[in-house]
Amino acid sequence: MKNIMLASSALLLIGTTAASAQEKTLTISVYGFAQDAFKELVYDPFEAKCGCNLVVETGNSVERLAKMEANKANPVVDMAVVSMADALSATRSGLIEKIDTSKLSNFDKLYDIAKDPNGDGMSVGYTFYATSIVYRSDKVEITSWADLLGDKLAGHVALPNVTTNQGPPTLYMIGEALGQNTPDLKAAIAAVGEKKDDIVTFYVKSSQLVQLMQQEEIWAAPIGRFSWEGFTKMDLPIKWATPKEGQTGGMNVMVLAKDSKNQDLALQFMDFWLSTEIQTALAEKLVDSPANKEVKVSPEIAENLTYGEETVRNLKLIPSAVALDNREAWLSEWNAKVGQ
Amino acid sequence: MFHSRAEALALALPAAVFAAVVFLAPVVILLAEGFRNAEGWSVAAYTGFLSDPLNRTVFLRTLRLGATVTVVAAVIGYAAAFAIVNLPPTAKGRMIGLVVLPLMISPVARTYAWIVILGRTGIVNQALTSVGLTDEPIRFLFTETAVFVGLLQLFLPLMILALISALENMPKDAIPAARVLGANWFQVFWKVILPLTKEGLVIGGTLVFTGSLTAYITPAILGGSKVLMLETLLFQRVTVANDFVSASVIAFILIVMSFAANLLLKRLATARSKR
Repeated sequence: MKNIMLASSALLLIGTTAASAQEKTLTISVYGFAQDAFKELVYDPFEAKCGCNLVVETGNSVERLAKMEANKANPVVDMAVVSMADALSATRSGLIEKIDTSKLSNFDKLYDIAKDPNGDGMSVGYTFYATSIVYRSDKVEITSWADLLGDKLAGHVALPNVTTNQGPPTLYMIGEALGQNTPDLKAAIAAVGEKKDDIVTFYVKSSQLVQLMQQEEIWAAPIGRFSWEGFTKMDLPIKWATPKEGQTGGMNVMVLAKDSKNQDLALQFMDFWLSTEIQTALAEKLVDSPANKEVKVSPEIAENLTYGEETVRNLKLIPSAVALDNREAWLSEWNAKVGQ
Repeated sequence: MFHSRAEALALALPAAVFAAVVFLAPVVILLAEGFRNAEGWSVAAYTGFLSDPLNRTVFLRTLRLGATVTVVAAVIGYAAAFAIVNLPPTAKGRMIGLVVLPLMISPVARTYAWIVILGRTGIVNQALTSVGLTDEPIRFLFTETAVFVGLLQLFLPLMILALISALENMPKDAIPAARVLGANWFQVFWKVILPLTKEGLVIGGTLVFTGSLTAYITPAILGGSKVLMLETLLFQRVTVANDFVSASVIAFILIVMSFAANLLLKRLATARSKR
């Protein structure tokens, strides 16, 4: 926040005194997380390299997209990072533009699933994460997503709320385990609804789970790999499940705002972020798992990331169109079956 | 003090303008949002909101918890306030200090403490198991009970303080007089103490009830999404669904509930004193 204030007041000063100096400014819109690390590893080095100003707007993707929609006629943001599904939503609302990947020198180094996640040329993946089940190996053994609703875990399991990023992927995999994986997630939601008294809580923030695990309140919960590190530091036998249905997860992508006046600069910034050097730096600080396959990290670092060709190829991600077209229906189905 | 009324008004003007611009106007704009639809003014947002069974459950839960917390706070509050008022001055000062102390600790810290206390391995469950009242630890977290305990602890001091000041303003000989005239303790409370301290009860009751309605952290942490209350639902509507219309509907309902509680308490207080 402080950075934004500093940056925007600096911008104001420049705007009034040195507008004629033609100092270039790139405005980016990103998740509020790990901004200190991003400033040190990505923003500052890029500013030094391009001789331009970087203005950073942060927030969750719902509010940032709402803001882009409101400023559609006169875009403020040049480049944004959002989830795969939100990128498709932005495409449909006409907020973003095709990315000319020939201008991205690092494009060929990306894993295949990151190259064009929605198949429409409008976004490029820069990081992804696996979602699986973290569990107490001394209490239970987890081999399937269906185990989450099994008798052994009754009263000892937390599930993500449908409104979180982990919610729909978890339901998707429960549906897969039940053999009834339809896009409306009906079977999975009904199964969770039936067992809702056995679920300790439907969590909204994964940071809460470490405490619940520590207090023996829960023995298992589905989490994103980015939360894994906190669990490994506990003095308890904790394992990351490899369920037979596979692991799910999510991907975050970069998009280019429509009618932005700084498209070339925005593309330079994307290319910089996707470079082996920057992706390695972000991986080593455990900020983001790399989408660039040339990134090499030590086994200890890899342990805390979603890393490697094999892992990446086996991620079962919900297709963006499915997520987008069903979001409202999932929420009302969830409220009817689970929420009360 | 002032040369004219106009001068006094002129002095009040900056503060009034400030409040109108940064508080009143945004609130009115936000609330007006809930009374509009594509065609113009409408209460469709309200009827739509209340026709959803989930929203009704959440509304009734919020009302029920607010009312129980207020009633229980009043019962405990009277006992505590009565005991404190009758202490010698130094001890009284110390006790009031102890009542105020929790108010100086952040509600976030206090609420997190309850997660530890009410957990499966927390002291409540340890006590219950060691006494033999239960074999399996009882699940308190993420239930209405946990939210109730958290809210009660959060707002009880306000009730005690309001009742202490009311009891102190009561004539000192009212209770001995009633006793001499043959009233038992129940009659003393019902016919003497309650009517003489009703203003304190109205103030304390309003503070506790509105506090319970609008507290966000406690139901969010101790209840989670399994025990949604109006304020946690409001947050969810805005941050997840970007649905400001439902949010302003909820905000308006909360405001109406607070005013209604205050009016009702005042009404009850006057009704009693007429008897």
